[in-house]
Amino acid sequence: MNAHAPVIEVDGIVTRFGANAVHDGVSFSVARGTLAALIGGSGTGKSVLLREIIGLHHPTEGTVRVLGTDMWRASSADVAAVRRRFGMTFQDGALFSSLTVAQNVAVPLAEHTKIAPEMREHLVRLRLAQAGLPADAAHKMPSELSGGMRKRAALARALALEPEILFLDEPTSGLDPTTARAFDALVRSLVDNLGITVFLVTHDLDTLLTVVDRLIVLASGKVLADGPPREIARLDDAWIRSYFAIRTMVGGSPDRSDGS
Amino acid sequence: MTSEAAAEERLALSSDAMRLTLAGAWHLAELPTLAALLARLQPRAPLTVDGTSLTTLDSAAALALLRALAAVGLQHDAISWQGFSPPHQRVLDDVLKRMAALAEAPPPARSRWLADIGERTSIIYGQGVDHLSFLGETLAAFLEIVRAPRRLRPRELTAQLEQACLNAIPVVILVTLLIGVVFAYLLGLQAEQYGANIFVVDGVGIGMSREFAPIIVAVIIAGRSGAAFTAQLGSMRLTEEIDAIRTLGLSPMQVLVVPRVLALVIALPLLAFVGLVAGLVGAALVADAMLGIPPVAFAERLHGALDIKHVWAGIGKTPVFALAIAVIGCRMGMHVGRDTRAVGLATTSTVVQSIVSVILLDAAFAILFQELGI
Repeated sequence: MNAHAPVIEVDGIVTRFGANAVHDGVSFSVARGTLAALIGGSGTGKSVLLREIIGLHHPTEGTVRVLGTDMWRASSADVAAVRRRFGMTFQDGALFSSLTVAQNVAVPLAEHTKIAPEMREHLVRLRLAQAGLPADAAHKMPSELSGGMRKRAALARALALEPEILFLDEPTSGLDPTTARAFDALVRSLVDNLGITVFLVTHDLDTLLTVVDRLIVLASGKVLADGPPREIARLDDAWIRSYFAIRTMVGGSPDRSDGS
Repeated sequence: MTSEAAAEERLALSSDAMRLTLAGAWHLAELPTLAALLARLQPRAPLTVDGTSLTTLDSAAALALLRALAAVGLQHDAISWQGFSPPHQRVLDDVLKRMAALAEAPPPARSRWLADIGERTSIIYGQGVDHLSFLGETLAAFLEIVRAPRRLRPRELTAQLEQACLNAIPVVILVTLLIGVVFAYLLGLQAEQYGANIFVVDGVGIGMSREFAPIIVAVIIAGRSGAAFTAQLGSMRLTEEIDAIRTLGLSPMQVLVVPRVLALVIALPLLAFVGLVAGLVGAALVADAMLGIPPVAFAERLHGALDIKHVWAGIGKTPVFALAIAVIGCRMGMHVGRDTRAVGLATTSTVVQSIVSVILLDAAFAILFQELGI
């Protein structure tokens, strides 16, 4: 297995809602073991693109390959098999509200593996620990959790099946800066320690400048820029300049605003 | 792929039980096999674990390995790890680091059945009290509107009237017409035996107007509008719309609750009347076809047998039913917990509570009318 083979390949994606074209030929690929982020202004179709990659929304044209499987042409059995190999967290967690946190994490394990219940319980606890949740959160209902804890619980559920890729939709939105940075560090450690590829959609500049390896900028239906965040921040483009300008005002140049 | 022989190659223990060799793919999908293999071995300290020929090691498999070793009394410090590739070593270290934190959290204490009964009883009692106080709040808000009629929202009221009254007419007619048919048919079967066909008209007339039309229509509306009120207000609470109304200096009671309650109090008597007429039409159809009573004779007999007081007694109950249904529906929606599951539970609860309260109120009316001689 080639360690640097692309795990996500997006090729010539076109998306139209009626006469309104959201994507007009979006192409990029993400190599195994990278932490990649997708950014773009409101209405540039970041979330739609994410939904197209994970097979929830049908693109008008173009192909999406995840772990080598064409998400829109492969048989439904193949797509289901790939879905077991990646995890996804939604903006508000999308935890099952009638189950406790531990039961939420156990759902994919009970559904897709034959692990004995006793071992499953331990595995659930490992997932909660990996997502940075205290042990006593296991028996809580989702409605009893704070926003940050809900995101962690969703992450624990996404990690349940030991995914090769994690898709995160706005992982730090609605979190306070301290919690958000802790979440960033957690995501980074998943990439470094467990070798998971992470693809996230975010607006959080701190996330972008401190933990992300690679930045994909979406503008007017196309990939405007693609590369390491620090290089992108230097590009001479009006939208990118204004995007990073706030950061420059607060912390000097992007180069010096190192969070480590 | 996971045949016994192939599985054996994943895990080998040296003859002195002090060297454990791992090989092949150790990952989540293989966990049942690996766990069974691990359980069979009895390694001894000081143990060396060799991971040179591992192709995959994920955290689930690492956890299974560490737990199996801990189960035979081998802690981390008694083991030397050898030949693990850097990525595998990182996974192993990551899990090792967390092993201490995996102590089981005590599950919340389970309540006993007696305590359960007590708890539920006090919840029901509390809800009854809350409904009454909500009724009071609604009346207070209504009185404020009476004092300053400009605060009434005619748009919201008419929208609710359309929903609760106009749109309910087809289902009300369908159900009560069929009830009239069935009622007249069953009564007719008995009356025919005594040649007392014409008395079916008396029975149907009094039965439909006093009990059937009001009760059936109230139950339909409890399921239709009561549930809708809870679901609407409940999701408005979830999306913080109700908080937004409050922060804009408006009263959710006046904006949301009073128009709904008022609409239902107006709608239910009208619907009960529609239901009564439809029921009588259904009965007349059966009387004509089965009992040989032509519609004109049916109408004539009805005119003589059905005293208007029966109609008033039946229709007169319905505003009270409507008040109970609307207050329960609105209160359950306004006080729903802040998650989607709570909205579902509250909606179910609304339907059950409002149907039960309609039946209870009806029983109370029966006693009251008896005493008053109506």
